[in-house]
Amino acid sequence: MNPKPINWKAGATRHVIYALIAIAVIVPLLKKWPSSFTATPGPRRVYNFIEKLEPGSHVLLAFDYSPDSKAELYPMSVSLLDHCFRKGLIPIAMTHWPQGVGMARRAFDEVAAKHDKVAGEDYAVLGFKPGYVNLIINMGENLKSAFPEDLDGRSTETMPALEGVETLRDIDLAVDLAAGATVDAWVMYGSDRYDFPLVAAPTAVATPRCYPFVQSKQLVGLLGGLRGAADYEQILNVPGKATELMPAQTVTHLLLIVLILGANVRFIVRKLRGTEDA
Amino acid sequence: MWYKRTIPLIIVFVLGILAFAHNFVPHQMAASFRETMSEWMVIAGGFALFIGIYSLLHMHVTRIRRQTTGWAYSVFVFIGAAAMIALGLWNDGAGPLQSVAPGHGTTWYDWGFDTVLLPCQATIFSLLAFFMASAAFRTFRVRNFSAGLLLVAALIVMFGRVPIWQTVTGWFGVQPAFAKGADGALSVATDAIMEYPNLAASRAIILGISLGAISQSLRILFGIERSYLGGGD
Repeated sequence: MNPKPINWKAGATRHVIYALIAIAVIVPLLKKWPSSFTATPGPRRVYNFIEKLEPGSHVLLAFDYSPDSKAELYPMSVSLLDHCFRKGLIPIAMTHWPQGVGMARRAFDEVAAKHDKVAGEDYAVLGFKPGYVNLIINMGENLKSAFPEDLDGRSTETMPALEGVETLRDIDLAVDLAAGATVDAWVMYGSDRYDFPLVAAPTAVATPRCYPFVQSKQLVGLLGGLRGAADYEQILNVPGKATELMPAQTVTHLLLIVLILGANVRFIVRKLRGTEDA
Repeated sequence: MWYKRTIPLIIVFVLGILAFAHNFVPHQMAASFRETMSEWMVIAGGFALFIGIYSLLHMHVTRIRRQTTGWAYSVFVFIGAAAMIALGLWNDGAGPLQSVAPGHGTTWYDWGFDTVLLPCQATIFSLLAFFMASAAFRTFRVRNFSAGLLLVAALIVMFGRVPIWQTVTGWFGVQPAFAKGADGALSVATDAIMEYPNLAASRAIILGISLGAISQSLRILFGIERSYLGGGD
């Protein structure tokens, strides 16, 4: 049996595209191109909502993502935490993803130290529990029985950070940092059922699915992907990792647009010549 | 037959009906039932994790035993799992299920997460950008009117999701007003696409999934769908 002949031309095109994408990502990062832009309205709505919360209000942050979505969601987590601590709000973190614990720990280590905040007093990291929608219902019925201890083993029953919080109804705002479909679960089994305001902060891929909930006002705001994170940093006036990454994303989008247009021009020319099937 | 089929079907029917009905009963007993059930389900979810781990390890043992293509990679699953489980149980000397002393800092388990798992997963996911670019180049063709519409929508969204004009003009050290205006207009156009045609399609998908879930739940509840019992029934 003869081996299948290698299509060098097709392979070469693919490898050229890979090389171009690598250059489009790496060069802006190495060169540290400046990034200055105006924030879009969506993140501003989230910012305004948090601004209106009274100091001491409780903000639940669901770290529903793993390291593969770190580039998009970690800067968002840091910005939101920074905003909460600046405003004197009390963030409470939990996750439906086992690896979300590591992401939450890193974010709190980084931001809490900057604001001199103490675990258990100024914030609570509850950690991971399995159960998915059942965990949300469990938290809605009794948050402290769902998480009897925080990540470091402190009892949630006597924790100052959780004073006044018995169920999800006592939460003033919840933000789902989502790499998957957890936003749907938080809307259907969380905010709709236990009546608390919810913000979705999904990856860019998961963002389109959240729009119906924004229109129906089941979400008070939407922070979508890296752009959402960068916009939030701009609004806070604290340019961070997302702002730093925007030039790389911009150049990559530009390259993709050029590639797609180029491929279509070639396709149309070939079609006119009759050398391309429709 | 009684133990394997009838009893599970009765349990599913009774608990399913109770889990559904308690939502409509405004009584303390219904609230207590809801709380107890949600706790039980979280515990059941914990056992499901063990089943998942067992299933993963079983699959890789089979691959190693049969020496299928790429079986050596399966060895790394065991090395990685063993290393992380050992570090987690040792817990920097505090022992399993105990908290390390306050102020201890980063544990070896955290180190494994931060320096191995995190960059590995981020790297794997970043490969998606290369495949997406290649796929977009090869498949985005204006073959007909619908494909043309899709292409135009995709280009607007790609333009609108990044501050393209402000970034490009920024390279030349200028920030003209038209750049801000152009990015704003593209952002508005992107939002219009996301808030109308995308929303309509997303809502249709969500409704379809929800109706499917309701129908499947009823089939399970009334014992019509029994594949979850196993045995190809």
